[in-house]
Amino acid sequence: MLIDLGWFSFDLFKVTYDGVVLAIGGTAVLAALGVVLCSSPIYSALYLIGHMICLALLFLMYGAEFIAAVQLIVYAGAVMILFLFIIALLGGKKESQSFDFHKFMAFSFIGTVLAELALSTRVGPTQPITGIFDEKMIANVGSAKAIGLELFSKHLIPFELASILLLVAGVGIICLAKFAYKPVRRRSN
Amino acid sequence: MGQEFILLVSATIFCIGAFGFMVRKNPLIMFMSVELMLNSVNFLLIGYSHILKSLDGQVFALMIMAVAAAEVVVGLAIILTIFRTRHDLNVDHLDSLKG
Repeated sequence: MLIDLGWFSFDLFKVTYDGVVLAIGGTAVLAALGVVLCSSPIYSALYLIGHMICLALLFLMYGAEFIAAVQLIVYAGAVMILFLFIIALLGGKKESQSFDFHKFMAFSFIGTVLAELALSTRVGPTQPITGIFDEKMIANVGSAKAIGLELFSKHLIPFELASILLLVAGVGIICLAKFAYKPVRRRSN
Repeated sequence: MGQEFILLVSATIFCIGAFGFMVRKNPLIMFMSVELMLNSVNFLLIGYSHILKSLDGQVFALMIMAVAAAEVVVGLAIILTIFRTRHDLNVDHLDSLKG
């Protein structure tokens, strides 16, 4: 929708879209700060859930509906519930926050890395390889179907390897939880 | 929003996660910081898959999610096992291997 004010014209849809994306991105960054700066693990976990939801919304804005749904189900659902259970089991103790030399070093290091990354966004235009899946095509087929076709044709071997990885992780935690709990005994002689 | 926005937001979240991993002493919050870093990479992949009109980024984000789920499960089991023998949640106190 093009709005023309004579001396100045803008596309209302595009401006609104950009504003929404900017707001959600800012919220995601603020929630990430909350995860790192909160002293109690339970508040960190809640901020992390907010961060995951913001990222899922951003994925929706970038036209990845299937990944947004997976993000909500796997991350904001399963992984965070696991975190909350572990916090409930271990007890969320507060951590005393003090500003010491170690934190100052970490802060300056991260500041340098962030500045370098911000500079690297300014590189000139490159010639990227573009694919064929624009918004119209994905809307034609459906996001999940398009990803499924891609996943089961071009990326079949990584997909199967991921399933083996998950199986190994499952067997591993059963071993950790079932057999590893033996109090260490010192030999008496 | 263009390419710079995606790169900047992703770099900021990644750096916040790295900072949290270096500074915090609670292993649970360190794991959450790792999740932040993985998520920032996911966001970068999705954004570029939108810009470049290719689905490879989304497939790769799916793989990263599978790896992250496995990593979280194993990591939390290790934290739980350590806590059961030591009753202490501070990574600075785990220095038995120090000479």
